Amino acid sequence: MIFLVTPFLMMAQDGKIKLSGKVLDETNAPLPGANVQLKNSSKSLTTDAEGKFTFSVSEANGVFIVSYVGYKSKEVRILGESFMEIKLEQEATTLNTVVVGYGQVKLKDLTGSISTVKLADLSRQPVANIGEAIQGRAAGVQVISSGQPGTNPTFRIRGTGTIGNNDPLIVVDGMPLNGGLNQVNMNDVESLQVLKDASSTAIYGARGSNGVVIITTKRGTVGKSSVTFDVSTGISEATEMLQVLNASQFAALHNEILNNAGLTPNPEFVNPSSLGIGTNWVDAFFKTGFQNNYTFSYMTGNDKSKVYTSINVFDQKGIILNTGYKRYILQFNSDTKISDNLKFGNSLKLNYDVKNSGDFNIQNALLSLPTQPIYREDGDFSGPIGQPIYSGDLDNPIGKATIVENSTKGYNIQGNIFGELTILKDFKFKTLLGAEANFWKTRTWAPSYSWDNKVSQNAYLAESSNQAITLLWDNTLTYQKKFDNGISVTGVVGTSAQENKFEYINGSIQNFPSENTQTLNNGIDQATLHGSGSEWAIFSTFARANFDYKSKYYATATVRRDGSSRFGEGNKYGTFPSGSLAWRISNEGFFKSKTINDLKMRLGYGITGNQEIGNYSFSSNYNTYLYNFNGTYVSAAVPTVLPNSNVKWESQEQFNIGVDASLFDERVKVTVDAYVKNTNDMLVPQSVPVTSGYSDIYVPYINAGKIQNKGIELVLNTKNIQKGKFLWTSDFVFSMNRNEVIDLNGDAPLITGGLGLNYNVSRIQEGYPVNVFYGFVQDGIFQTQTEINNHAVQVEGTSSSNSTSPGDVRYKDLNNDGLITDIDRTFIGNPNPDFAGSLNNTLSYGDFSFSFYLQGVYGNDIFNANRLYTEAMSITTNQSAAVLDRWTAPGTSNSIPRAVYGDPNNNNRASSRYIEDGSYLRIKNITLSYNIPVDFPGKKIFDYAKVYLSGQNLYTFTNYTGFDPEVSSNGIDNNVYPLTRTVSLGLNVGF
Amino acid sequence: MKYLKIIVLVVVVFASTHCSNDFLDKAPLDTINTSNYPTNEQELITLVNGVYQPLQWPKLYNLRMWTSDIMAGNSIVGAGGGSDGIETQDMSNFVTSTDNQGVLDIWRGPWPGILRANIVLSVTPGMTIGENIKKRSMGEAYFLRAHYYFILVRYFGDLPLITSPQSSDSELYPERVSKDKIYQQIISDLEKAAVLLPNKSEYSGSDVGRANKGAALGELAEVYHTLGNNWQKVVDLTTEVEGLGFALNANYSDNFNPATENSVESLFEVQYAKDGGYSFWSNENQASWTSPFMGPRGSNFVGGGYGWNQPTQEFINSYEANDSRKAVSILYAGGPTFDGKTYNATYSTTGYNVRKFLVPLSGSSSYDNSPLNFPILRFSNILLMKAEALNELGQSVQALVPLNKVRNRAGLPNVALGLSKEAFRDVVLKERRVELAFEGQRWFDLIRVDNGQYALDFLHSIGKTNASSKHLLFPIPQIERDRNPKLTQNPGY
Repeated sequence: MIFLVTPFLMMAQDGKIKLSGKVLDETNAPLPGANVQLKNSSKSLTTDAEGKFTFSVSEANGVFIVSYVGYKSKEVRILGESFMEIKLEQEATTLNTVVVGYGQVKLKDLTGSISTVKLADLSRQPVANIGEAIQGRAAGVQVISSGQPGTNPTFRIRGTGTIGNNDPLIVVDGMPLNGGLNQVNMNDVESLQVLKDASSTAIYGARGSNGVVIITTKRGTVGKSSVTFDVSTGISEATEMLQVLNASQFAALHNEILNNAGLTPNPEFVNPSSLGIGTNWVDAFFKTGFQNNYTFSYMTGNDKSKVYTSINVFDQKGIILNTGYKRYILQFNSDTKISDNLKFGNSLKLNYDVKNSGDFNIQNALLSLPTQPIYREDGDFSGPIGQPIYSGDLDNPIGKATIVENSTKGYNIQGNIFGELTILKDFKFKTLLGAEANFWKTRTWAPSYSWDNKVSQNAYLAESSNQAITLLWDNTLTYQKKFDNGISVTGVVGTSAQENKFEYINGSIQNFPSENTQTLNNGIDQATLHGSGSEWAIFSTFARANFDYKSKYYATATVRRDGSSRFGEGNKYGTFPSGSLAWRISNEGFFKSKTINDLKMRLGYGITGNQEIGNYSFSSNYNTYLYNFNGTYVSAAVPTVLPNSNVKWESQEQFNIGVDASLFDERVKVTVDAYVKNTNDMLVPQSVPVTSGYSDIYVPYINAGKIQNKGIELVLNTKNIQKGKFLWTSDFVFSMNRNEVIDLNGDAPLITGGLGLNYNVSRIQEGYPVNVFYGFVQDGIFQTQTEINNHAVQVEGTSSSNSTSPGDVRYKDLNNDGLITDIDRTFIGNPNPDFAGSLNNTLSYGDFSFSFYLQGVYGNDIFNANRLYTEAMSITTNQSAAVLDRWTAPGTSNSIPRAVYGDPNNNNRASSRYIEDGSYLRIKNITLSYNIPVDFPGKKIFDYAKVYLSGQNLYTFTNYTGFDPEVSSNGIDNNVYPLTRTVSLGLNVGF
Repeated sequence: MKYLKIIVLVVVVFASTHCSNDFLDKAPLDTINTSNYPTNEQELITLVNGVYQPLQWPKLYNLRMWTSDIMAGNSIVGAGGGSDGIETQDMSNFVTSTDNQGVLDIWRGPWPGILRANIVLSVTPGMTIGENIKKRSMGEAYFLRAHYYFILVRYFGDLPLITSPQSSDSELYPERVSKDKIYQQIISDLEKAAVLLPNKSEYSGSDVGRANKGAALGELAEVYHTLGNNWQKVVDLTTEVEGLGFALNANYSDNFNPATENSVESLFEVQYAKDGGYSFWSNENQASWTSPFMGPRGSNFVGGGYGWNQPTQEFINSYEANDSRKAVSILYAGGPTFDGKTYNATYSTTGYNVRKFLVPLSGSSSYDNSPLNFPILRFSNILLMKAEALNELGQSVQALVPLNKVRNRAGLPNVALGLSKEAFRDVVLKERRVELAFEGQRWFDLIRVDNGQYALDFLHSIGKTNASSKHLLFPIPQIERDRNPKLTQNPGY
């Protein structure tokens, strides 16, 4: 604590004493707008443009509290001095400095819309991937995770901006990350920022339009040495388990299915109730999952060098039989000061991970017959016996999940080395050389089996070897100067060059004489061999200028020019400008609020691009195929895709307006943002007629579409109670986004959401949100034949087994033409949420701390495709317990139709029957932690020791009937690996 | 020291801002860049090979072309029953709608071939290569372009006429021109091909099977035969073909045997090879589907065996007694064993299956490796065309010569003298029906005779009362008209 004090002159004036002072920041520059409050009174004022203040007090003692956003508040005792200089210290850097592209900005000086995520508490969440940990924590950032071990989550920042690739750019330690977030250990992350509006992302030009996630890993700190050890262990299970029928219920259903179609029921099912419970396949398929996470790190720093090293081991067994994930990460960061003006550093990450699983199929586990045991008496897996119409036709899902070996092994290195040279005091030149190498191998070994009717005669082995190498070279020149007239200027000029090459080779073979030898050399039949590769390159130049007048008026302008190998000849380079302004109203003379400590308004506009358009869309190619003459093979060169040499990046313009405020002595911090994002030149498939001779299915993409996203984000951080040892803080995040397809280059919609042969459930169409659901509308169930006769014609036939009959679904005749045809389909749901929110409450008392995190979304629909199979009641498979409420006679159900083999009325068609409300509110995380007292008498062994209990996804309030309402970003639940509920116990120790 | 820093800075900045232009030039690694291809004979030949490829597709000869026999009433779909092959069932029941998937499939078949032929025709003249390959390649491209248009014009009528390669700068949405103009183009292309192409006898090794002079002349005869307005031309052309060394095989079955492919009777056939593989969606090199699709269902006679194309009783009745072709073309109860196995009439709904194209398991062990080529033009067709043409010219005595050659090969006696023109025509048409059964020719015969009235009369007589004059042409697929509104629809749809 440094504060300078100079003599105080008592000046009596009307009995009042005038105290004056000056507030400085950590660089000894004056700090205007700082808040000076007389403790235990309501008197407070703010410092002027020179950081000075003058207080009138009645007595010459007491305490001032001086505070400023981003700085530690300081209490200053009045000691009879007349003029004080008070120097404030910055707050912990993670919250104070925001990493933006190619630079850093103080939180208080931000002009764009950037979300910062507090990481301290996140590392205690029992999740494998940092993406899952930030779900709900940043306004406008939607994170969709899958429960499958080793998968990376999907991000959507401010809505779905394109029908192509929506993934944001992820930058780790200054390098764009090519592999997934699995390469980053959560415990190594120092800060995570999400750049959301164009004025922040434009510096990334043609890769900025989906948003940018910037991750910085820990580096050593000067004067501090520490060794840390973090360990946690947890167990998990599915958040919800589905109920299916038992053996006697299934037999009764199956009899009904066949009888209603005029077929002979299974003689073995003549007495359903005698069959009892039967096999519980779901129980055998899902197990308790386990995960262990260990991180060991050490760091040290002095004024010459700083080092941070860590090693992480993560081991997870999934909740589905025979699925798992193991990961090892080594992180090594160092900074070295050669001289006052020259510094070098590096960041290096080595990572090895293994994902393994059997051939698991969740739908098949639900559909297997309870009348079939899992094993036969000889210990081998069972299969259907006899006619498929009685015993089904499924491969034993437990068997397939057990005997098949699928594995993916990844070896990744990401590292960079940089040098920074200070020139002429105000200029800094930095050059950064980075490389990322990803190698991954996959292997599938499927042994032969003979499970009653289901026989796979030959064992099968497939292997692949893939590599992707990315090189980066960035150069920046930064100028930073604070002039005496109150203007601060920061300027950055730079270039960035990046190149990537991807190659793969794969092969497979079948029929192994001995299944003990499992290499490609040992197989006999049907050898296949494939291999190819692709590459891309980007070269860019960029510049940014920040102006700051007395922390009151800000202006930022950026421009970036990107050249990409993906763009066609005429469009090789794109220019992406942006600008933003901010106004700290609370520093204005006219602003005299006592409650509002800081009020800033921001306005920004910019243009960014999306270059994820495929590596070679512009090129005109012949593919090579085989042909033959007289039995001899020859090659044929054929054109397939109509060339589009004009293809270029998608561009997006975004307009953002925001307000940041802190109130009540900074106990309340509010940020509100409103934005409009227009994606123009969106790549949409070209409508190519067959007469051109080119494929009308494999078509080129042309820049002709438009999508709009607009929304509002709100973040509220409050310190509710801060009294003595007790602290209660809350964080509330709320986002609302509306998405609409404005133009698709023609009226024809794009059909998406494919679930198999000619079965599609969603569309992309002008005037509607992306991937809106499209199908028939169910209007109850026909109870009697009269109702069928009075309604539009559905399926005509000769008997109840081949035509629409009582118990079948009635579909609305939308065009009133008396026939139910494909024209009677309409928009039946929207997978995009209306809004998302989260609320985190942290209470701490002394060494105990308790946090309670709620997260939810509202207004989105889900197409529950699993029900297509589990409620079909038309073939021989087990069904969900929901079918116990099916229609059996008039009045028994108005929603679930009759059971009939062959489904003559096509009750299974894509309709509102399968659309469910996907809104949910989840107790996302509860963490209880305790700081073990470490001050032993005499010796201090530990710096800190914290033990904690954390539960993730503990309970979900939802009307959704599937496993979990968090399905994919297109809202379709088709065999999605369910999310898990995990409870873990952990220990963080620091020396 | 200060200046050193600045020099280093400037050098680095200079180097990094002046990346060579090549840095951003990346071309695909596994495809050929069209701008510098072909540069020599070998590369040109690969482009020419690509022009043949659509013939192999299920969109054309591997499925749709022979299913036209079902539409023509020679057989029924059969298969698994129910909605299996529903698009073909609809076509054969004449309830074809504008979104019929089979019609869309056929529409998708020839146009890529036309594009590829146009590419060859535009790049070849400018190449400096040997005259032989140059002429041959141009000839092959002309022949195939004419062939693809011939398929399209007979099924769909008026068409857009595209004679140069398309790109995104072209008029991608052309109008239809009258079929007379299309036929003029076909005739002109075939005449050029006949001059440029070598004789079949000049091909050897892995060139056997390429388009040849006989094929061009024979197809030209077929065109005039279809148009029916110049029978003398038909006679002249078929006579010219006769002089090129083609002859009937001793056995009818030799035409459909993988061991005797590209025989002396074959003018042009679609080439298939053993390890092509099977994929309903793939356009790549294929094995033949005729054996797996037409094999009797549940019989284990052949690899696959889906039971398509089951001949009707009415068709079987059209075989005369002692016609040796019946035992080659048809599987029937009481007939000769196939690969040692006895046929059972229960394998099929009609009691019959097609035998002609089946390859025993020793030649094709599974559903995806039948190597049997598919006949497009055989010498017996040339003879029958000559017979029909001579009859139309009133020369019924001379017409008997080629007709009887075909009949004699089938073990049938000569046709009697003294038949009227109409009666003789009926005899020839009946002979064509039996000789060329299931080779995709019957439908084209039905619609050309008597301006299609022959088709309607015949179809009504076998109970297809739905058939009307609009059904003599397919509708232009709706999805194509949605993309190109300038395409008018055929009348009645």
